[in-house]
Amino acid sequence: MAIYLDCNATTPVEPSVASAVVRFLEKDFGNAASPIHDYGVFALTAVEHARGQVAEVVKANRDEVIFTSGATESNNLAILGLADAGMRNGRCHIISTAIEHKSVLEPFEEMARLGFEVQILPVQSDGRIDPQRLSDAIRPDTLLVSTMQVNNETGVLQPLTEVADILADREIWWHVDAAQGFGKELEQLRHPRINFISISGHKIYGPKGIGALVVRKQNRQFPPIHPLMFGGGQEQGLRPGTLPVSLIAGFGEAAKLAVRNNGDRMKKCQTFREKALATLSALGAEQNGAEKYTLPHVLNISIPGINSEVAIKALKNVIAVSSTSACTSHTHTPSHVLTAMGLSFEKVEQSIRLSWCHMTPEVDWSEVENILRALRG
Amino acid sequence: MNDIFSELEEVTVEQYDHHDLPKWLADPVLMVARNPEAYQGKEYLIEILVAQVREYDVYAEAGCCKWAYDHEDIKRTLRWLEE
Repeated sequence: MAIYLDCNATTPVEPSVASAVVRFLEKDFGNAASPIHDYGVFALTAVEHARGQVAEVVKANRDEVIFTSGATESNNLAILGLADAGMRNGRCHIISTAIEHKSVLEPFEEMARLGFEVQILPVQSDGRIDPQRLSDAIRPDTLLVSTMQVNNETGVLQPLTEVADILADREIWWHVDAAQGFGKELEQLRHPRINFISISGHKIYGPKGIGALVVRKQNRQFPPIHPLMFGGGQEQGLRPGTLPVSLIAGFGEAAKLAVRNNGDRMKKCQTFREKALATLSALGAEQNGAEKYTLPHVLNISIPGINSEVAIKALKNVIAVSSTSACTSHTHTPSHVLTAMGLSFEKVEQSIRLSWCHMTPEVDWSEVENILRALRG
Repeated sequence: MNDIFSELEEVTVEQYDHHDLPKWLADPVLMVARNPEAYQGKEYLIEILVAQVREYDVYAEAGCCKWAYDHEDIKRTLRWLEE
């Protein structure tokens, strides 16, 4: 079996997370919405415990965590959920960036269909948005700014502190898609100016199918988001449906470990990175996105003379890598992220994303190098 | 393994000495914290107890929403630990 280097698509599950999930599937299977007996009360207790564990990662309050099915749903809830407030108040200008995930860009397209004026900011060649461009784009009727924390294809950390400074005294809702950075880069998301944070369990060694939207209250009140679904009133009326207690408990455990083991994980990823970089640099690979802003577990490179699809197939028995984000890799369209960064079509076609984690075993880099050299002939 | 028990002792002493946790509730919690051998395999419940003691609020049930833990929550977790 090839060594898995596609952790930005999804991570393996931590053993203690799997244990928590199994416990609430097999033994403690109560419904958190039925706290009329011990089964229900224990399920509710587990949900609230997990809510606290997730909140702790971003230093939010427990009641500010709304469980969803994952970051895609959270992005939709944060963006489309503000449509009603925007229309009522005549604030119909919304801003995002060209490197967002489709689960942000497509809700923005839907907002445009509803009559909102959408402004998509370009990015620089280093893979970062330019805060000055954002500052220039803001208008009196701007309702929402949506920026990602870490790009899923390049691993580049975005300048959120600068964005926070720009938005500091403005009454604009700020949403951050943190699917790739939550539980990895801890400080940025603790900034109190961020109103909404979208997160996913399966990017932090938790289960798939669970995530959250962190909604920071202002003056003890939620921002005016409207639910997208109705019926049940769970999650403070913002996300109805029976809570998947086993997934939530697993997500909570994963969040706990993300804080507790953050330093060790980063260190292991950095060590792995140095070996990967040494091999790939020897092949003349060029990194897409500035190294100094890239998280230690991701590397997006273009190797001159080698088409990425050919490389991925040739390497498939040694390492499992991808050429773009998991959500768009099946469409065979060129990466909108790398294109937005100004890469040539040729370089985009040569791009490979490697992403690993603290659980990734050693890779035989000499074998990787030999295979890639052979492709060049 | 004993880290979580040490943490429980620490937060309980803190809440008793400087906040509102009453002695009648602090005592049984400290009994658990100081007997880790008796509660092996129940670390998940100990974790929950740590959070409940840390966020203990006499008036948790007051108001429209309950976003703190009260004595009933802690008593219930202590009961689960004995089951």
